[in-house]
Order: sequence, then structure tokens, then C-alpha cells
Amino acid sequence: MSFVPEPDTALAAYYAQTQPRVGAVLARRSLGTLDAVTIGRYAVTIGAADPIHYDPAAARSAGYADVVAPPNMLAAIVEWGIGTPEAQLQPDGTPHDGEMPLGDGDLRLRVMGAGEEMELVSPVIAGTELVLETTLEAVTPKQTRSGTCVFVTTSHTFMSAEGAVLNRNRRTVVLRNPVQES
Amino acid sequence: MSITFQVGDVLPRLRHTVTALQLFRYSAVTWNPHRIHFDARYAREEGHPGLALHSHLRAALALRCVTEGLGPQWHVTKFDYRLRKPVYAPAELAYAARVTEADGDSMTLELIEEHPSGGVGFEGTVRVSKTGAVTTEGFPVSTAGATA
Repeated sequence: MSFVPEPDTALAAYYAQTQPRVGAVLARRSLGTLDAVTIGRYAVTIGAADPIHYDPAAARSAGYADVVAPPNMLAAIVEWGIGTPEAQLQPDGTPHDGEMPLGDGDLRLRVMGAGEEMELVSPVIAGTELVLETTLEAVTPKQTRSGTCVFVTTSHTFMSAEGAVLNRNRRTVVLRNPVQES
Repeated sequence: MSITFQVGDVLPRLRHTVTALQLFRYSAVTWNPHRIHFDARYAREEGHPGLALHSHLRAALALRCVTEGLGPQWHVTKFDYRLRKPVYAPAELAYAARVTEADGDSMTLELIEEHPSGGVGFEGTVRVSKTGAVTTEGFPVSTAGATA
């Protein structure tokens, strides 16, 4: 490795904890049944006006069994089910739910999205029972113009309960030291 | 009606002003409790000048440029994007898509997010296929009666 975070920083602690887990399946779990209201609300929020997202009759006439989710909706949802109680959230509000390893302890790393690749294999229809498998693909420290960072890449495969793949996506976030340490 | 596209064709720009209200609703619907998107005081503590747009919201707006520009005869099969810089609300954004490859039932388009300053905040590539070109196992065979 040509570069590692400076010793005794939050990023160094994170890197030491997380890099050995590269390749591990972080979670495989049932997400429950995707409902039409969630799909419709997502469409309304992003301004998507196509009625296939909220009108079952329009969706059926377009050839879908029920309303269909906008392309990146599954990738965008952070917490499924009821979510994490507030007292268990990190200071920045992010949850420790296994989808994105954020380190053990109170590291207070700053996190931002960096990019994503997605393959949309089958349409995502209301009423689908979803299963998600998440794998840690890479943990890469870098020195950037804005300071030391660690880029973390995870892959996420969304499937139906029967095992049919709906979406595959590979997501990268960038982690930075807390403000006082950067 | 069938519209054909050629390499070099440019879709209509999607122009959109992202507000703090939209960020709040996007956080809510995606059950995303990350405070940089809805808590301005906290966002500033992290060094941001304001409320940061969600990367997935920017991606969703970029995808709207493609799906609305092409119409229901096409569907997205692949998409990748890289964020060049963060964006803060309120933000006047425009998304532009240009066809870079066209081979019958599939096309590739390049996508960018344009800022009023002239900068590009986001670059992406999207692959689309004709909706009638796949089986009933996947996307619909027929778009007869589809609502645009």
C-alpha cells in the first residue's frame, strides 16, 4: 500500500478496523415488502410525473403488474423497516446498520457520496418482497486536495424473495477525519 | 410512434431548482437521517456552507432527464456516475444528456450536471434499451397503451 492515513487519527483507526474485512459479506437480509406508497412518494419527491410510478392502471397499461419504482429508488433508501432509534444514531445522524461500515466507536468521520454504478436487471414493482446482500469491496486511502480520505466501496444486490436479481449496485463513499483533526 | 436517435443527439435539458424543502422530503422518503442534508447548523460544523444535496437525489434528477427525454419506449439498464463537487441548497441545476452510441435496440448517453457558474458537478453514463426488446421476465414486451 503506497499510502496509509496518518497514525493516531480517526481515519487510521477506521482503516485498521475495516481494511481486513474487504471481501466479506456484510449483510444478507430481508427488507420486507415494497409498498406502492413508498414508490409514489419517492416519485413525487424527485418530481417524476410519469403515472406508472403512482397509478396502478397506468402501470398495468404500460405492461407492469403494479406501480414501478423510479430507477435508483432501491439504491437511495438508507434504512429499511422501522430504522434505528435516535439514541443509537451516530452524532452525524448516520446509522450503524451494516450496509456501510462506518467504524467502531465514536470516530466522527465525515461521510459523503462519491459515485455509483448500477445495473437495473428487472423492474421493481410494488408488492415485491425484497432481499439485500451487501459485500465490502474496497477500502482505499488517498491523499486528495482536501486532505486525507478513505474511499469505501460496497456492492449491493437487491433480489426478490425467490432469488431473482432486480438491481446490482456498487457504491463508493468518501470518509474524512473529523473537522478538528483534518 | 417511434422516435429514432442518433449519435450526437442531445435530449432536452432538465432544469430544476433544488430547495431545502426537497432535501427534507428526500431524507424522509429514503429514511436517511444524515444531518448534513437537513440540519444547517450541523452541516456548517462539518465544514459545509449549507445543506448538502444527497448524491442519490442528484442521480435521480439526472435519470429523469433521460427517462423523460426518451419516453416510455426506452428503459434504463445501466447507470454510473461520479460526483465532482458537492452541491448545496438552494441550487439551480441543469442536467444534459447526449447520445454517444446507438446500436438499434440499445443506446449509451453521457450525462452531466451543469451549474450556473458553468461548472460540472457530476458526470455519468447511462445505457438504455428499447422497452419492447426484452422478455416478459424483465421489462414489458409491449408499450401499447402506455401513458407518456
